[in-house]
Amino acid sequence: MMIPSNIAALIEAVERADTADGLLKATEALAATGHPASARCLLDILGFNNPGAAVAAVDGLIAIGQPVVETILDNLDGYNYGARAWSVRALAGIADRRGLIVLERALETDIGPSVRRAAACGLGNLQLTNPDHADAERERCLQGLIQATNDGEWIVRYAVAVGLERRLREASCRPAQRQQGEQALRKLLGEGEDVKVVRSRARLALQRLSNG
Amino acid sequence: MQTGPDESQAWNGDPIDEEEALRRLQLRHDPSAQYYAAWWLGRNRTQHPQAVPLLRNALQQRRARQLGDEVEENAVARNAARALGKLGVIANPAIPDLLATLDDPDHGLREAAARSLGQLRAEAAVPLLLSRLASGPEVAGAREMGTPRMKEPCDAMLEALGDIGLSTDDVLSVLKSFLTHERPVVRSSACRALLQLTADPQWGEAMVELLQHDQLQVRRAALMDLGATGWRPALTAISNTLAENSLKLIALRGIVETNLDDPMDEAVLDAMDALL
Repeated sequence: MMIPSNIAALIEAVERADTADGLLKATEALAATGHPASARCLLDILGFNNPGAAVAAVDGLIAIGQPVVETILDNLDGYNYGARAWSVRALAGIADRRGLIVLERALETDIGPSVRRAAACGLGNLQLTNPDHADAERERCLQGLIQATNDGEWIVRYAVAVGLERRLREASCRPAQRQQGEQALRKLLGEGEDVKVVRSRARLALQRLSNG
Repeated sequence: MQTGPDESQAWNGDPIDEEEALRRLQLRHDPSAQYYAAWWLGRNRTQHPQAVPLLRNALQQRRARQLGDEVEENAVARNAARALGKLGVIANPAIPDLLATLDDPDHGLREAAARSLGQLRAEAAVPLLLSRLASGPEVAGAREMGTPRMKEPCDAMLEALGDIGLSTDDVLSVLKSFLTHERPVVRSSACRALLQLTADPQWGEAMVELLQHDQLQVRRAALMDLGATGWRPALTAISNTLAENSLKLIALRGIVETNLDDPMDEAVLDAMDALL
């Protein structure tokens, strides 16, 4: 890819940064461009173990959107844990259907609660744009979310309630899916759920769904 | 303790049930198993009738940190103190033990006991906390030579006074004396307690100001303190703080759960959704 000179200059600033704060500032400037040519460099930043810069880099990757999905997926296995966790967040934010399998796996198995939280949110947000696959993909999103109502972390269960609400609100959601999803929300509202804010969020979801 | 690090790693952290936790809490030859068991019982808010008596026993155990230990000094006693604070009214019989622990020479154990007495809203702790703090920021809040600690775990003790909820002139004047402490996190703890006890918005505003502090550690502390008070006007400032979303979510959870009597506050839940 041809790298425009202004992007090249911003990438060089990232490479030259020699303090955490300098890296953060340089990353923010590069991320703000939303230019596909910044992708490679933003992905590298995810592995630097600098959370502030990683947050900015994730924002930049989300701003690029669909053109960066394939690059993220192709590189996933080569990453260290931290970079992979940040990649999951980027995929959740971009909401491209090609990220589905990564989000499913992250919600089920990742050790980091904030990664599972992002994955749950992503399963609620994925844009199911291919009409041939939309129904099957929605089913996978729902099953992943329903399974995660058993997660040990309250914030993951909270994100599950949010994700379920978004999926069930879609007009193309089948009645059987809707019924199963609402049952999972009622579980998050029930006696087995000891965190009040999770119950509040599940109640709000059911309320909004019944109001159409 | 006979087990090497690897073996105790396998022993630790595994999924156990209540019976197993109660059994492990009694393994005096294996402090790391006891440590985990005490943590487990607190985390799962056990209501088993045996739990409190066993935790009270564990609270009496003392053990200096030894070479090869994976756990802190007096680890079992500290985790027992922390667990007792999470158990609600069934832990009331342990309040006298926790009060006695406020006089322990171990700073970390005093801190854990103070927090738990706050969580249990033990009014009997107020005179002891006040006497520990009476010397003010210059003495109780002074740095202990050779450590990063203060002489007393002031932040934990101030927060306990707020959680207990007794709003007397003596309490308020001790809390106010710490508003000039050199450490912003201690000032934040004092504001938190003052807001809880007086509902005067100036203390909430002071914490909101600390959300702009240039040290991340201070911003994090102010987030947690605002969350503990559930002060609704802080909503937007919390959302906009430069800190991890996980901490902002915990603070907003505090707002939701403190104000549950009101009809459901969708604006707070929407703010949480936006941070996921």
